[in-house]
Amino acid sequence: MLNFDVVIVGGGGAGMRAALEASKEPDLNVVVLSKTFPTRSHTGAAQGGINAALAYKDPTDSIEKHFLDTVKGSDFLGDQDAIEFFVSNLPECILELDSFGVPFSRDEKGRIAQRPFGGASSPRTCYSADKTGHVILHTLYEQCLKQGVKFLNEWFLLELVVENEEFQGLVAMDMRSGEIHAINAKSVVIATGGFGRMYWNRTTNAFNMTGDGTAACFEAGIPVKDPEFVQFHPTGLASTGVLMSEASRGEGGYLINKDGERFMSRYAPEKMELGPRDLVSRAIETEIKEGRGIGQGINAYVLLDLRHLGEKKILERLPQIRQLAIDFENLDPIKEPIPIRPSCHYMMGGIHVTDFRTSSTPVQGVHAAGECACVSIHGANRLGGNSMADIIVFGKYAGLGAIISAKNRAPGDPTKVEKRTRYWQEHFAAMRQKTTGNKVVTIRDTMAETMWYNVGIFRIEKEMVHALHVINQLLEDYQDCCIGDTSQYYNMAFIHYIETGNLLKLAKAVAMGAIARTESRGSHAREDYPERDDRNFLKHTLITKTNGQYKLDYLPATITKYQPEERRY
Amino acid sequence: MDKITYRIKRFDGTREWFQEYTFPYEKNKTVLWGLIKIRDEQDPTLNFTSACRSAICGSCGVRVNGNAALACKTSLDELLEIYQTSTLTIEPLSNYRVIRDLVVDWEPKLERMKEVKPWLIASEEKDLSLGFIQSEEEFHKISNPTDCILCGCCVSECTQHSTNSQGFYEPFIFTKSYRFTIDSRDNAPSQHLTPSLEKGGLWKCVRCMQCVTKCPKGVRPADHISGLRKESMGLGHQQNKGARHAYAFYDDIRKTGRLNEMTLPLKTEGLTKTLSRRIPLALRLLRKGKLNPLHFPRPVQGIEGVRKIYRLVQKEERS
Repeated sequence: MLNFDVVIVGGGGAGMRAALEASKEPDLNVVVLSKTFPTRSHTGAAQGGINAALAYKDPTDSIEKHFLDTVKGSDFLGDQDAIEFFVSNLPECILELDSFGVPFSRDEKGRIAQRPFGGASSPRTCYSADKTGHVILHTLYEQCLKQGVKFLNEWFLLELVVENEEFQGLVAMDMRSGEIHAINAKSVVIATGGFGRMYWNRTTNAFNMTGDGTAACFEAGIPVKDPEFVQFHPTGLASTGVLMSEASRGEGGYLINKDGERFMSRYAPEKMELGPRDLVSRAIETEIKEGRGIGQGINAYVLLDLRHLGEKKILERLPQIRQLAIDFENLDPIKEPIPIRPSCHYMMGGIHVTDFRTSSTPVQGVHAAGECACVSIHGANRLGGNSMADIIVFGKYAGLGAIISAKNRAPGDPTKVEKRTRYWQEHFAAMRQKTTGNKVVTIRDTMAETMWYNVGIFRIEKEMVHALHVINQLLEDYQDCCIGDTSQYYNMAFIHYIETGNLLKLAKAVAMGAIARTESRGSHAREDYPERDDRNFLKHTLITKTNGQYKLDYLPATITKYQPEERRY
Repeated sequence: MDKITYRIKRFDGTREWFQEYTFPYEKNKTVLWGLIKIRDEQDPTLNFTSACRSAICGSCGVRVNGNAALACKTSLDELLEIYQTSTLTIEPLSNYRVIRDLVVDWEPKLERMKEVKPWLIASEEKDLSLGFIQSEEEFHKISNPTDCILCGCCVSECTQHSTNSQGFYEPFIFTKSYRFTIDSRDNAPSQHLTPSLEKGGLWKCVRCMQCVTKCPKGVRPADHISGLRKESMGLGHQQNKGARHAYAFYDDIRKTGRLNEMTLPLKTEGLTKTLSRRIPLALRLLRKGKLNPLHFPRPVQGIEGVRKIYRLVQKEERS
C-alpha cells in the first residue's frame, strides 16, 4: 500500500498545473501518476494558442467581451457564473505562465503576441508560433522539476475506489513491473484528458486519449455531464486526421471547395473562415454532401488554402503546420492548398464538476480538471484557444481544491482499496492466461466506425439508436476478450484492453445523451430536430451508472447575465 | 514491390532476438503505420510507444537501419528508395536502457537533465505577476532550442556520447542548458551553463553533427553546444583546455592563416602537460617526417583577406 495526501492522475497540462499548486503546501505528500512520460501528454499537440483578454493586440478587448464570446460560442449552454470566473482569471494565469518561462511569441513592444481565432470578437489568442501547447507542457514539466514534484511515470489508473460517496483510494498498475498497487490518499485530481479515440482514426487525438479517468469516475458513480457534445475540428488532414491548427484560419487561411469558391460566405458571411468550429465543420460536411467536395465517401475533402499568406508569414507563424502538411500529406502549403476534413477533436462533456472554484465532483475528495471534466464553460461548443485556458485556470483551482480536501479529510479505508487491488491482480493474471475470446482491436474498430457513421457531425434518431444497439453488443463482446500477451512486464495489450473498455463505456453515454437531446445546439446537430429548443433543453445532460444501469438526468444551465439569443456569425 | 518486411529487435526483460514480420505494401505510409499494423493484425505482444502520430510528443523514436528516427514522421517510401530494399531493421534507440522491445527508459536521462537546472530562474526582485517584456529578437534566440520534444534521436546517434556516456551529456541536455543560459528572462545563466562545462564535457563535442541531422524537429544541439562554449568564455571560463584550444586556433589563423601544430598542444595544455604527455607522440611524428621543429609558418598568401574576415566578424558582433 502506497500512501499519499494528494494523488494527481494525468501528467498533462491540467495535471501538472494542479501539481504545482498542490505541492506548494509543504506538509502535503503529493504525487503525479501518468500513463506516459509527462511531456508525451496530448497538451503538447495543442497548436494555435491560449485565450486571455490582455488587450495587447486590441486595446478595446475586455474580460466582458471574452465572457460574451464564450457564452455565445457555447450556444448558451455554458454556466455563466463559471465562465465569468474563468475569463476573469485568465490574464493573471497567462502572466504566471510567462513567469514560468513559457517562450511566447512577442509583439513589437515585447509583450505576449496575440492573434485572431474562431468565434472571438477580438484577437486575444496568445501564442508561441504554432506550438503553443508544446511549450506550455514542457514549461510546466520544468517547473515541476524545479519544485521537486514526485512523478510515477508509466503508471496506469485501473480504478477509483469510492464507497458511500466518499473517496477511499485508487488502484493502479506500474506498467514496467506489471505490479498492481493499492494507493491510499485523502484527495485525488483526475486530469486524464479527452476520449476522442472512440472515433479511432477519424480524430486529431493521440492514440492514448481514451478517457481513463472519466471512465473510472463514471464506474465509481460520478455522473458524466453533456457527453453528447463532441467537437469536430474543421481542419484535420484528409488522409490521417492530423490537426491543422485553427491558427491557419486565424492567420488568414481560406477554405475552398472544388470550384475554388470560398464557401464560408454561405454559412458565416461576416466571420467567414473565422466562424466557430461547430459551424465551420458543418459547412464543410454540407459542401461535401452536396457534391462540392473533392473525392468520394469517407475520402472526400475540401481545401485549406494558405498560399496567399506568402512564404514569410507561413514560415514565421505556421512553421509546424507547414511541416505536418509536408510530412503527412506530401505537399508544401506555400505552393499548394491542403486537403482537409473535419475530425473529432474535443469532448465538451466529461466528469460532472459541481463547484468550479475547487473543481470538485459530487464525491468528496475527488476533483477533476481539463478535457476529462465538464465544468461547464464550453457548453455545446468550445471556442479555439479556450481549452489550454481551461487547463491552466481549472488545473490550478483543482490543485487548491485538492489541498482543501486533503486537509479536511481522513485517508480512505485501506481494506476496501486492498480488496479491489486483489481483484485487479487476479484479473490481470487471468487475462494473461486466457487464450480464446474476442479481439480487442476488432471491438475498438467496430466502435469507431459505428460512432463516426452514426453519432458524428450530423445526427438522426434512427442511426443513433442503431449505434447504441451496436455499442451494447460490443460491451457484451468485451466481457469475453483475449488480449494475446502473457507478459507481466509492460503489457500494452492489457492496457489497450482496459482503454478500449473505457472508450466503450463512454461511447454508450455519448449515444444515449445524443438520442435524448431532441434539439440542435452547438456541436450537436440533429437533422430531425434542426432547431435549438431552449424551452426544453437549456439544461445539462447527466448520465450516471448505478448497479450496472445507465440513468439519464438533467440539470439546468446557469444563466446570470446573457439570455439566449440566436447565434449569428 | 508488394510486400514489406520489418526485422524487429525484441526484448522481453531477459532474452533478446530479432523477429521478422511481413505485410502488404501501401503507398504514402510511415514507419509507425507499419508497427501499428503488425501489433493490430499479427502480434499483440510487440511493444513500442507512440501517442500523437504528428511529431510533437516525442514518444516514437526508434532506430531504422541504424539511424534514429521518429517513426510517425518517417516515410516508408523514402526509406525503401534510399536503401533499395523491402526489409527494414528496426531497433530501440541506442544509448538507452531497453525496457521491452522498442520501449526505452527515460528516467536516468531526466535525472541527469536536472543538473543544468532546466527551468527559468527569474530575478528575486521581479514582480512575477506582471509577466515579462522580451523583444522579438530575444524570443527568436530561444525559439529553436524550445522546439525540442525530448524524443532522444540525438542521443542515439551522438558519437561522443556513444563512447563516453558518463563524461558527455546527452545532446538535448546541452540544448536545455543553452536555452536557459540565453533566455533574456533568466537571471542566473551560469547556473545553467556551469554544469555543462564541469560535468557535461562541453568541449568534448566532436562536431560530427549527427544530433543536428537526426533531429526530427530541426533543433540544432551542436550549435547550442557552440553557443554555450562562447557564452562560457564570455562568462570568464577561459582557462580550460577547450577554451585555450579555441583561442590557439583563433590566434594562429589570424596571424598566419594556418594552424601551427607545433605550438597547438603547448597553448592548449601548457608546457608541463605537453612535455609529460606529448613527447613520445612528437618523437614518433618526427621519425616519420611528419613534424619539422624548425618550421615556423609564414603568413599564407591572401592573409589580408583572412584578417578582413576577422575584422568583419568583430564589427558584426559589436553592432
